[in-house]
Parts: sequence; structure tokens; C-alpha cells
Amino acid sequence: MAVETASRGPAAETGETVEGGEPSFRPSPIGWLARGIVWAAIAWLVLIFPLGREAFELQRYSEAVIFGIIGLSLNVLLGYVGQISLGHQAFVGIGAFTSAYIVTEQNLSFWVGVAAAVAVGGLQALVLGGVSLRITGLYFAMVTLAYGLVAEKNIFQIQELTGGGLGQPAPKPKGFESDFRYYYLCLVFLAIVLWVDWRMMRTKSGRALLALRENPRVASTFGVNVRLLTLFAFVVSGAFAGLGGALLAHNDTRVSPETWSFNLALIFVIMTVVGGLRSRAGVVIGSAFFALIGYLLDKFTILQDGLNAIPGAPDLSPEIARLVIGPVLLLLTLTLTPGGIGQQIRPIVRWLTGHRFDLKDRGLKEVQISDVRA
Amino acid sequence: MSVLETQSVSIRFGGVFANTDVSIKVGEWEIVGVIGPNGAGKTTAFNIVTGFYKPDRGRVLYKGRDITNLAVHERTALGMGRTFQNVGLVKGSTVRENLVSAQYLEADYSTLAGMLGSPRTFVSEAELRKRGDAVAEVMGLGEFLDRQVAGLPYGVLKRVEIATVLATDPDVLLLDEPSSGMGPEEAHDLGDTLLELRREFGLSIAMIEHHVPLVVRVCDYVYCLNFGQLLAEGLPEEVRNHPQVVTAYLGEDAEDPALQKVEEKLETLLDTD
Repeated sequence: MAVETASRGPAAETGETVEGGEPSFRPSPIGWLARGIVWAAIAWLVLIFPLGREAFELQRYSEAVIFGIIGLSLNVLLGYVGQISLGHQAFVGIGAFTSAYIVTEQNLSFWVGVAAAVAVGGLQALVLGGVSLRITGLYFAMVTLAYGLVAEKNIFQIQELTGGGLGQPAPKPKGFESDFRYYYLCLVFLAIVLWVDWRMMRTKSGRALLALRENPRVASTFGVNVRLLTLFAFVVSGAFAGLGGALLAHNDTRVSPETWSFNLALIFVIMTVVGGLRSRAGVVIGSAFFALIGYLLDKFTILQDGLNAIPGAPDLSPEIARLVIGPVLLLLTLTLTPGGIGQQIRPIVRWLTGHRFDLKDRGLKEVQISDVRA
Repeated sequence: MSVLETQSVSIRFGGVFANTDVSIKVGEWEIVGVIGPNGAGKTTAFNIVTGFYKPDRGRVLYKGRDITNLAVHERTALGMGRTFQNVGLVKGSTVRENLVSAQYLEADYSTLAGMLGSPRTFVSEAELRKRGDAVAEVMGLGEFLDRQVAGLPYGVLKRVEIATVLATDPDVLLLDEPSSGMGPEEAHDLGDTLLELRREFGLSIAMIEHHVPLVVRVCDYVYCLNFGQLLAEGLPEEVRNHPQVVTAYLGEDAEDPALQKVEEKLETLLDTD
């Protein structure tokens, strides 16, 4: 009742004139041109550059895109609600096996497989979260950790689902058999996830998530059912993870159980934090970087050459490299720029979207607020 | 019929009897003050009314309906709005974002429609923003709309908080020390605002308040709590001069000349108002 009267009241007329506290800024034509060139360069890097590359390389690029989806999945949980999942490899892995199983064993189409992976991802989160989201913070993290380990030792050992030691074949979908077509398909899925994430955060549920991360008591006085909405975010996160898993499966055309170890869950968390919580661009860039570490090490052999100079030094496997580089970057991120890559590139992103270039604009206040709720 | 009522509500935390047999009534269109020394159990009473605590004994009624077992967000949906002693706002967001966030229950689209970005949600969002801006205007906050909450002065935050609660479309407001952090002048303006809110929106208000002139000016009825129990109730002037209330605030020895001085100070404060 109150607000309806408010919009009819004397304030309504003056309401429109109070647009924006800061003076509005419009780039000059040259400014627009410069922005257009940078946008075109980004588009070239993402769309054209991978063309004509070898199949092996294209698979790595697709993996980078898929890791972007997985990073966004964790961002929903870790960035928006401030809960941490240390068992995300299970969500991704079960998504991968679900899709592979449906395509290979049930002879259904890729699209059914992907839909099922998304549904199973959400359902897992619903069941696990429905039981365990009475607790939050560190204790919830422990529950997800346990779930990941249980999945590793049990679910991933079910012969029918995972195809045993050889793994489950997961052929590429009809019409997307070539690696570069599949790469574009992954880009489309990433775009869909970005869209859903963006719209979610611009509408009531996303705002409620941000409010409850910062102060659950305030969120509840806004009328938010805090536990239900936390569960909802976990389900969204699980569904995104399932999608990422399915895409990973068909990218490698075979899924094997040993891929989904706790190492991977750690990398998922690290890449999301290093990317920058609550920054879509940052998370995608950070995740893609971690997906590409092995590839980059092969390409630029400086690190391996340096290691070879030391007698008795081991070969640098991508797994180990991730687990060494990851924590180092995590440490640097948390101590220097808690907003991660997202915070670093914020001036550029603001500039690209037609604002003034302001190096000091790092959105610091937002990231100063603690992230994981105990 | 009273809008809000607690019936001999009691709660204890371990050995502390935070509220004992507290019965408070807020009638329609009424502004009710809750006063009492620090630690008297005022905020506890508010937490019981808004659902953050479940009382050990007693009932909470809203428009005659027993809501003792409803959750906080369910009470918000019924039309209960509250502010917090230490400012309940999303600090990382701007004032406008807070005002839109507060309209969680007012948004007329489903969560799924929002996530998929159906065209309707864009229209609704624009409406929510406009309503938020209008509420800000009522509270005289137009100039702060794009400012981040963290970094605004405390007195402004208190008004922003009232604005966000108004945005939830309440029938009854519970304000926890709305004038804290405000100077005498701002507190006086706040009194005007509260009276205006009641007149324009037909709100009932309960408020915890230490600023005596404000209480005397705007409240129709006052309850005084001490050690978790009701010490006195009645018209503001009556309660203020109630011998037990004076003792509770100023100590046993009210004849002490130093305390007399404090009392005189209070009097002059009242006169200048």
C-alpha cells in the first residue's frame, strides 16, 4: 500500500529528474572508434584466431571455454552467496558421465545428454544442499569435500555408468564432429550461461543473493527466504557444472574416472578466485588461463628448460604445474588485489562499455567485504 | 483492533531473563515508543516481534493473527518492516540498488523468467527502479541514489534504511533507534518525517528511541522496559515523569545534585524543541 501511494505522491514528478548522481559521459567519435577496434580485436581472438588450428589445439581452446562455464558455476556459489564447494569435480564429473552414458549406452542424442547432465547437476545440488545447507561456511565446505571424495570412490566406480577403467566413449554431436565447430558450440553455451548469469544478477533473485551474502538478517527483512535462496543458488551452480561436465566429455570424446580427483576441485576454486569473484569477465579469463596452463607450458618451454638446467628436477606435468602456479596466484590475488583479474581489468571493461577510462576505478569497496561466510 | 501485539512474551538466554512477560500493543495509526536503559531488552522484544527469536512463552499477534511461529521473511510478506540498530543495508551496493533489492516481494515476475531475461522483466525492473527513486524522494535522499552505501554518513544511512523498509511496502514499521547518529536538528526533522509517513501511508510505527524530545513529540503511547520487564506505560509525559522510570534512568539517588543537573539539562532540551 505504502509504495503505491508513494509513486503517486508529489515525489513521482520529481523522480525522473534525479537521474544519475555523476555527470553523464559520452565518448567522442574517436573514442567510439578506439573501443570498436578493441572489441574487434577481442572478437578476432575468440572467433577467428582458432580457425585452421590443429585438432589438438582446438580441443584445448574448447576446454578453456568450458572451464569458463565451470568457473561461472562456482562463482554463483562462492561469489554470490559466499559458500564454498570443495566437491565441484563431482558435479562436473557426474555431468560428464551422465551425458556420455546417455549418448553411448542409451543411443540418445547429444542434446538429450546435455539436458540430462544439467538436470542431474541441479538435482544433486538440490539433494545435497537440501540436507546440508542448514550449515554454512567451513562446515558446508567439508560436506561438499566429503561428497566429492565419496563420488570418486563410489559413483565413478559404477561400471555401467563410467565404462570401467577404459572410460565411457562420448562422441561429438552430429553436425559438430569437427573440432572447430565444436569449439563454436562451446562458445554458444558459454554465451548462454553468461546471459543467464547476467539476467539473474540484474533481477530479484540475484540481488537477494548479494544481500544475503553480506547480511542474511537484512535479506530476510526484505522478504527473502534465506535458506531456500541459498539452496537455489547451489542448484544453479550444480546445473552449470553439469553442463560444463557434459561439454568436457564430448570434447575429449572419452571420459575416464580418474580425471575427477580432488586436485581438480582445488583448481576450480582457485581459478574462480584468481579470476575475480562476481566478475564474469574475470572468472572466464581466469578459468580459461588455468585450462590452458598445460598447453602454454608446451608452447613456451622456458619453464621446463629452466627446470632441466637443475640436475634431478622433475618434468613439469600440467597437473603439477597447475597445483604450483595456482596457489602462488591465489596468494598474490588475495594479498594484492582481492578482486582478482576482474578487479585488474575493471578500468578496461568500464572503458569498453562506454565509460571514462579511470585507472583508479577498481570497485574496491565491494571486494573489501569478506567473502566466505562462517 | 491492534495491528501488532505481544502477549506476555518471555525469553531467556542462559541465566539472563532478556524479556519477562512483556505485553506491548501497537494500534492502527499509532506511533508507539519503547524506551529504557541500555540492556533493558528493547531490541530483544523487537527481535521477537520480527521473528528473529522465538519466545519461550507468550504470543505475537499481527492484526489479530497468531504469528509466533512465522519466519522473518513471512512476516515481511504480511507487511512488517524493521530497521536495525547498526544499520541493515547492503553496504557494497548503491542506495538505489538497496531500494530495488528491498522490493524483492514486489517484483511481479518469477525467478526463472528473470534468469532467462523475458522482456517483461525489463519492464518490471524499470518500474521497481522508479518506485525506489520515488521512495528515496519521500525520505529526501534523491541526491544519494547513486552513492555506494559504504561511505555515507551515519545519519543519512539511518534514513536510507527507513527508505528501504518503506520500499518493502509495510503496514507497520519497527524502528530500532532511528535517530542514533543524528544531531538534534536532524532528529527533529526525522520526527516530522515519521509523522508525515503516518499521515500519507497510514503506517503504524513502533520505535526504540533514546532521544527524549523526539519520543515526547511523536509518540502517542510509550512503554518503558528495564531488566527485561515493563516498568511503566502510558502517555509520553506520564512515563517520562514516572518516578520508577526516573530512577531507572538516573539511578536510585535521584536527589543527588549532579543528577538533578542532568535532569535540568533534559528539561532545557525539551523546551528548546
